[in-house]
Amino acid sequence: MKKLIKILAILAVIGIIGGVAGYVFVYNKPHPDYESVKAEYVIEAKKLYDEFRNDPSGTGNRYNGKILEISGMITSNESTDSTSTIVFVFNQGDFGDEGVRISMLPGSGDQAKKLTQGTVVTLKGLCTGYNDTDVILEKGTIIKPKS
Amino acid sequence: MSTRIRFKVIILLAGLIFSTIVFSQKFVTKNGHIRFYSKAPLEDIEAHNRQVNAALDQSTGDFVFKVLIKSFEFEKALMQEHFNENYMESGKYPNSTFKGKITNLKDINFSKNGDYQAKVEGELTIHGITRPVSTTGTFTIKDGKIQGKSKFNVKLADYDIKIPKAVVNNISETIEIMVDVMLDPVKS
Repeated sequence: MKKLIKILAILAVIGIIGGVAGYVFVYNKPHPDYESVKAEYVIEAKKLYDEFRNDPSGTGNRYNGKILEISGMITSNESTDSTSTIVFVFNQGDFGDEGVRISMLPGSGDQAKKLTQGTVVTLKGLCTGYNDTDVILEKGTIIKPKS
Repeated sequence: MSTRIRFKVIILLAGLIFSTIVFSQKFVTKNGHIRFYSKAPLEDIEAHNRQVNAALDQSTGDFVFKVLIKSFEFEKALMQEHFNENYMESGKYPNSTFKGKITNLKDINFSKNGDYQAKVEGELTIHGITRPVSTTGTFTIKDGKIQGKSKFNVKLADYDIKIPKAVVNNISETIEIMVDVMLDPVKS
């Protein structure tokens, strides 16, 4: 009987440790590795913009929260010391430029700064949605031109 | 082209460009910053959104903010997941907006550098629910740019955002929202 209680006690302790470890593991799970993650959709930046503009809700259901690979000719590059945002302008609205904006991961920093107006690029990033002006992507990395 | 005519053309072009910048009625940013903060007994939670689109029309006082919920970043990935999937249901309601107006336009001189108190009233839409909101903020005008800052509270229950009993001590019922936007004139 004593042996049985001992075994049960040990099993219980292992169970508790396992449970706590599992909880801590999930609680501290990391953000996705946006450099290595694979794109779910490959689409031209202009097409992405048109799709969102024509059907914001349906297009959002398809692309929001997903990794996209977008291609097109850069209109402008908004680079600061800490961030780079690549901009594709396809339309003029009441408050200026409208199109697709992708903010780049810090790791792409130096290379992203060199992407100038007129460069044809393929960029990968997380689509966070369309705010009725721009399609926004984040966590961007450069697929083409290859460094 | 004679030097005289060339000179006149340059003056004319300079005047046109200058008038566009000085008398631009519309201001916009696409990198506005909104931070929200929840203080609760067991946990403090904050998230940052740096992709906020804010647009101001100086002539009408119209002030509009467009926010993508999936652009809010948390330190903890799991928290960001819960925020999107359980609380904000960002699959159903991907956007949040504020459509408002500055009600004391006459107190603000957009062409004179300085700090101005702004009163803003409008409709705030979060989680698919729209409610009237009024708040104050400061506009700092400097060399044609406007920095707008504001702080106000949002009651989660007002927007049908439900906190499960299990995490009642981890998430506050009232969240503090901080807005910081740097608006540039729109080039027409």
